[in-house]
Amino acid sequence: MISQIVRKEILENFLSLRFVLSLLLVILIFAVSGFVFISKHEQQLQDYSKDTNRSLSNLRDQTSRLYRLAINKQEVYRKPKVLALCAEGFEKSIPNHFRFNAFSGDYPQIRVRTNALLFRFCDVDWVFIISLFLSFGALIFAYNSICGEKETGTLRLMLAGSIPRHKVLLGKYLALMFTLGVPILLGILINLIIVTSSENISIDAGQWYKIFVIIIFSFLYLSIFVLLGMFISSRTSRSANSMVILLFLWVGLVILVPSFGRIVSKTFQKVTTQAEMQRRLSELMEQMFQDMLSGKYGENAGSAAPLESGICNPPARARFYNAGIEERNKIMDEHLNQMTAQVVIGRRFTRISPTEIYRQASETITGTGIGRFSELRRQISRYQGDFKEYIRSRDAEDPNSLHLLYDEMYTASLWRTISHKPVDFDTVPKFQELDLALGQSLKLAIWDIGLLALFNLVFFAASFVSFLRYDVR
Amino acid sequence: MIWKIAKKEFLLNLMTFKFAVGTIVCVVLTAVFMPILVGDYQQRLKDYNENVAANEAELRKVKVYKNITPTVYRPPNVLSVFSEGIDNQLDSSEKIDILAGSNVFLEAEAKGDNSLLSVFPVLDVTLIFKILMSILAILMAYDVISGEREQGTLKLILSNTAARYKVLLGKLVAGLMTLIVPVTASFILCLLILLSSNMVSLTGAQWFRIALMYFASLVFVTAMFNLGLLLSCLSKNSAICLVFGLFLWLLLATILPNASAYIASQLKPIESPEEFSGKVKAVTDRRGSEIKELTKDIKGDGSEAATDAPGAFGHTYYHLCNKSSMDYDRKTYPITEPVKIKYFDKVLGVKEMHLNDLIRQKQFADNIAGGSPIVLYENLMSVLTGTDFGNFKCFKNNVRTYGNEVSDYIRSKTENFALTSYFTPCKEGDYEKVIGVLYKPILEAKDKEKKAKLMEAATKRYEQMLKETPSLDLQDFPEFTYQPQGIRETLQQAISNIGLLIFASILFFALSFVAFLKYDVR
Repeated sequence: MISQIVRKEILENFLSLRFVLSLLLVILIFAVSGFVFISKHEQQLQDYSKDTNRSLSNLRDQTSRLYRLAINKQEVYRKPKVLALCAEGFEKSIPNHFRFNAFSGDYPQIRVRTNALLFRFCDVDWVFIISLFLSFGALIFAYNSICGEKETGTLRLMLAGSIPRHKVLLGKYLALMFTLGVPILLGILINLIIVTSSENISIDAGQWYKIFVIIIFSFLYLSIFVLLGMFISSRTSRSANSMVILLFLWVGLVILVPSFGRIVSKTFQKVTTQAEMQRRLSELMEQMFQDMLSGKYGENAGSAAPLESGICNPPARARFYNAGIEERNKIMDEHLNQMTAQVVIGRRFTRISPTEIYRQASETITGTGIGRFSELRRQISRYQGDFKEYIRSRDAEDPNSLHLLYDEMYTASLWRTISHKPVDFDTVPKFQELDLALGQSLKLAIWDIGLLALFNLVFFAASFVSFLRYDVR
Repeated sequence: MIWKIAKKEFLLNLMTFKFAVGTIVCVVLTAVFMPILVGDYQQRLKDYNENVAANEAELRKVKVYKNITPTVYRPPNVLSVFSEGIDNQLDSSEKIDILAGSNVFLEAEAKGDNSLLSVFPVLDVTLIFKILMSILAILMAYDVISGEREQGTLKLILSNTAARYKVLLGKLVAGLMTLIVPVTASFILCLLILLSSNMVSLTGAQWFRIALMYFASLVFVTAMFNLGLLLSCLSKNSAICLVFGLFLWLLLATILPNASAYIASQLKPIESPEEFSGKVKAVTDRRGSEIKELTKDIKGDGSEAATDAPGAFGHTYYHLCNKSSMDYDRKTYPITEPVKIKYFDKVLGVKEMHLNDLIRQKQFADNIAGGSPIVLYENLMSVLTGTDFGNFKCFKNNVRTYGNEVSDYIRSKTENFALTSYFTPCKEGDYEKVIGVLYKPILEAKDKEKKAKLMEAATKRYEQMLKETPSLDLQDFPEFTYQPQGIRETLQQAISNIGLLIFASILFFALSFVAFLKYDVR
């Protein structure tokens, strides 16, 4: 019996104007998104390879002297990802440029071709199309699934037979999901064909698995809106009223709730302002200066006079500089952690909307967005440690060096605090961003997956109970 | 007749479920979010006041003119609660760092307080209005004609003597009267919440801007209503009309603005950040080589000596310097500093060109999305509140002027950078005196304990001297004044958007009129 209902509903849906409209628009948007992604990705790859080559060549130049390699800052750029096709993760607003040496780093910066004046606009990726367009489509299909049949009088005819209500509900649900599945799968297929036709883009097996997982997420997400539509439809007796309620719910869940994130973040987590940060750093400098004068680091820590003058103290100066850099790093790390925590609070709150859950789950799987920023910071910090160890080990091989690793070019050059010997570029560790495997990504997205499933269950139960008590007259 | 139809329709509309839900949602959302937005504004104002006070406190600590690198701040705009625009996106401060180089501990500098918050879409009153009001307008209009046809009442009306245009006009008036209710209620609520909070007072110009925003909102809902009316006149089935209307709304509200930005970035590409910083670097490199060339003949006698001390704005200054060092700097600075001033202006010029590129791309995207009344309305609100790029450019121009004022001030006070007060507070002979009195006995002392004691005493004395060093008298130092766009410039900028909105509104109505004249009422 269910199959009969499913078949009837599918045929009805396929012949409706809304299906034709959805299908055409979705395919068109997916196709355009594919073409635009190719040109954007190629541009990004070009910029990335130019930037990376330049920074590698700078690094190579520094290998003529070990102290220069240790103190001059190297640059790392975030690599453009093919899976940004599915979920770009607002990466244009997230810093992609990291500049650091063996001792400290600057604030990560945004160094992509982005126009701050066009900040309101997001990339038209899969998540955008599905979360906005197809969720809307799901409501348009589901708003009259129950009350519409009541208005036309066919519901009581159907239920006058021996068919139980749960089978009707299930049949309608399956038919709606199948109807929505056609535009999604066709759209995605066309998008993938367009994208993979580009010579510069190749998708490996791991990425294909991730794409498959995102498609499953998409169905779970759309299922929530289908069930929500059926729930409201079985709570109202007029389809016009059902449409009005669903429209406002959709606006709330898809457009307004994600916008609340910023306000929630700012309200519940305060971040030190830039001016305050500058003041803290100034105070630190003054404090360091006072400590240096009071001899906390040893005599003559402030002197950079030549070694033979006898009024300098390299170990004291190393202590002075290392203490300063350590404090500065602590202040900056704390500030960056505060900034990330502020965003995370807002994102957690916005999970009351399935749209945000779906978006965040997809970003976790593709490895884009704010999660990637935190992960990159972690990886760079690890790399910095390895790099410093490398400098230390190479420095230990030079008997002429004072073996004092600290962040001052002038005295490193004058006193030979770090070796002046050249090093082989091939032996220098280079930063390589590591992608998380699918299993690790799934582990990180487990809460989001659970919430998606929970929303499905809640709305299914709600629509089931409502339909059982529905007055079909 | 028109009035009768309008009255009947208006009363019917007031009783509808969609009107009740739409109005309640608008009012409730405004009531909930307006206090949060006002709170955010107050926080930004507090931060601004703190920053300005801290900047002034730093100015009071300045010991030498060379250290004067004040930061100027753009005050937050109270009307940004209506439309945030780019107010929170672009720098709200600028450092007037013409003469002093950055310090090692201060190299790290980030733009904005938390740039990561850009991952969230913006929430302001315009978002609530552009989304909810436009949906409500379409919901009010979609069954105005097709719905009456389905019920059979349209043929009854038209079988009478009422002319078609009168019916349509009556329905338009009724629709507008209905939509004025939520728009007005939300605006009044916004203003009540805004005015009831501390730290907020509105000037006459701001009231005028609010009045214009109200007018723009009415024109916007009229345009959206007329769009719905047009669809209703084109279709016989109200359900089909609704589906069409909503898909069209989705295209206009979400797809078109995003696609336009996408297309603009492809067709009007901007330079990469590396290309931009390359241009800035080229200018600063030229500055370096020019300074090097000009100072190549100035040679010291090799006995230059100076002691650094932490100064204002995170810089250091020579607390003491010997005669040779003083002479060297007195010869150097009058040559190097004018060059730095010249190149500071050049760097600002490069930055301005980059900003103009960004504006061109934004305008191109706006032109593509100009077919959407929703985008037009959003841009219009941003212009009227003064949170668009026009005011940002004003700020940048103000900064440029202020930079010149600061350099002129320093130049006049230091006789074109030739006075020692430019780089050190000490007088000729101070260095030799202090070294002779405090440090010479330490070097001469043989006993380690005595040496340590002398060192401790010298350090204390030196710290005391540092504290006693007087700050500069900067009573007549120029103050930064931010002059945002005047109402005339705003109107000039807004006129095209408001004109287009009115045109769209008239066009949709004219098309509805034509469609309704040919409408088969059976």
